[in-house]
Amino acid sequence: MARNMKALPLPVILAAMEGDGEALAAVLVHYKGYIRYLAMRPLKDEYGNEYLCVDEDMRLRLEAKLIHSIVTGFRILPA
Amino acid sequence: MKDSYEQRVQNQFGGFCTRVLKNEAARIHNEYARQRDREKSLGDLTTSELSLVATSDKYFEDEHVFEVLGKPVVVTGNLLAEAIARLPEDKRDVVLLSYFLGMSDQEISEHLNVVRQTISKRRAKTLKELREYLEKEGFEWPEI
Repeated sequence: MARNMKALPLPVILAAMEGDGEALAAVLVHYKGYIRYLAMRPLKDEYGNEYLCVDEDMRLRLEAKLIHSIVTGFRILPA
Repeated sequence: MKDSYEQRVQNQFGGFCTRVLKNEAARIHNEYARQRDREKSLGDLTTSELSLVATSDKYFEDEHVFEVLGKPVVVTGNLLAEAIARLPEDKRDVVLLSYFLGMSDQEISEHLNVVRQTISKRRAKTLKELREYLEKEGFEWPEI
């Protein structure tokens, strides 16, 4: 994950934890690039050439998993 | 430190999301690999393997055609057809005409040029014979 990316603002994180749709959409936009990168799979065409291609199925599964985990799994640790 | 709480949560959140995505991606890759190892294309199956998963239609397999008065009559069921085939022709005609073509005794007697009473007697006798033959051969009554 790119280090120079600007982090999401705190209110967005808190709202996303509560399951707010807009906030979750913002989180998805924030991680769009990373998700696409993870969902990249080599694909062969009928001539045997290999391409790197985004597996849509996998991309959607990653998005769904991320949303689910943020709402159910993320807790702010005490200092 | 300015906004240290916000920064701390941001770091935690970022780490959490990255971890979740990474783990899920690895899981999905594992799943794909598993599927690739176990799945076999239909084209790669040998004939014997294919016959294990294949099924073939059985239409018309146990249908037999008899001819009465120039008309074809279809009888379904191997045992029944055999029993009917064993009957002499005059008795067979009566059974086929009355039970498979649905004619009344009056109509049958007109078609075969015999008295109506002969038909009903012949039919009763034939039915008895058929029943004896079928029960001897182990015919099972279909469940209704």
